[in-house]
Amino acid sequence: MNRDDSELVDDELDSDFSDDAAEQPGDVDRDDATTTTDGDATAETEHDDDLAGVDEDLNGRLRSALPPEELRRLFEEQALPFMDQLYAAALRMTRNPADAGDLVQETFVKAFSAFAQFRQGTNLKAWLYRILTNTFINSYRKSQRQPYQNAIDELEDWQLGSAESLTQGRTTRSAEAEAIDHLPDSDVKEALQSIPEDFRMAVYLADVEGFAYQEIADIMKTPVGTVMSRLHRGRRLLRERLADYARDRGFVVADTPRRGR
Amino acid sequence: MTDCGCDKAKAELEEFLHRELSDDDFKDVSEHLAGCVECETEAAVGLTLMQRVRSACQEKAPEELRESILARLNAHV
Repeated sequence: MNRDDSELVDDELDSDFSDDAAEQPGDVDRDDATTTTDGDATAETEHDDDLAGVDEDLNGRLRSALPPEELRRLFEEQALPFMDQLYAAALRMTRNPADAGDLVQETFVKAFSAFAQFRQGTNLKAWLYRILTNTFINSYRKSQRQPYQNAIDELEDWQLGSAESLTQGRTTRSAEAEAIDHLPDSDVKEALQSIPEDFRMAVYLADVEGFAYQEIADIMKTPVGTVMSRLHRGRRLLRERLADYARDRGFVVADTPRRGR
Repeated sequence: MTDCGCDKAKAELEEFLHRELSDDDFKDVSEHLAGCVECETEAAVGLTLMQRVRSACQEKAPEELRESILARLNAHV
C-alpha cells in the first residue's frame, strides 16, 4: 500500500482517534467472532488470531504485516458491508445522490488506505463514520462554509423559539405521535434536510445509527455537552417541522407543539 | 417507590430515550413514566420521532457505486 496515502488519511483523522478507540472496553473479542465465522480459509484465520493476540498484548499492533491481498479481503469482509449505511448518511449530508456516491467512494478509498493502521477489535463503524464526516467537512462543505453554524450553538433556547412549557393536552400529543407515525418517508427526510447541518448530523448519528453520545462527540469532534445540545435542539426543530407537515396533510395536530425543559 | 416527579423526567427524557442515563436515573424516570400519563405520552412522541426518522432514512447504495468502489480498491492493491 501507498505510504503517502496513509499519511494523508492520518492527517484527516484526528491524531487522538486511536486513543479514543483504544478506550472502548471489551472489543477485542470481536476478532474471534469475525474470524470463526470465516470457515473457508484456515490459514488466514490463523493469521487473524495471531493478530488479535498481538493487539491485546501490545495495545494495538498494526496490521501492516499482512499481505495486501489479505488486507483487501479483510476490508471487503468487514468494511464494505457498511456501504448502505454510509450511503444513507452521505445522502443526508450532501442532500443529493451524485455527491453522496462520490463521498462514499472517497471514504472507502481513504479507509482502505488507512486500514493497515486500523486496530482490529476497535469500533470499525465509528471509524468509518469519522472518515465520512471529515471527508464531507473538508471536501464538500468547504465551498459552502456556514458561518452561522457556531453562532447557532450559542443561541438560547428561547431564541430558537422553544421556551414554552407544555401546554397541550395529552390527547393532542397522542394525535401528534400518530401523525408523525403516518407521515410518508419523503416528509421525514425533507424535514431532516431542513434543519441546520450540525443538528441534523447529531440527530442522524443518534437516532438512525444509534451511536452513543461519546461516539458522536468523537465523530463530530465536539464535547459531549455540545452533542446533547445539538441533538435536543435538532429533535425539537424536527418535531416542529413534522407537525407542520402533518397539519398540511390534514392530520389533527395542535399549533406548534413544543417541549418545555 | 418514590416518584422523581415531572421536572426530572422531562429534563432527562431525551437521555432516557437515548439510553444515556445511569441505571438509577433510568429507573427513576421509568417509574415516573409508568405512573404519569402526561410524561408517558411525551415519551411516546419522542420515541415515535426516533423510530420514524430511523425507518425513513434506510437506503440502499446503487449497484454502480458498489462496482466503482470495488474497481477503485482493485486498482489500489
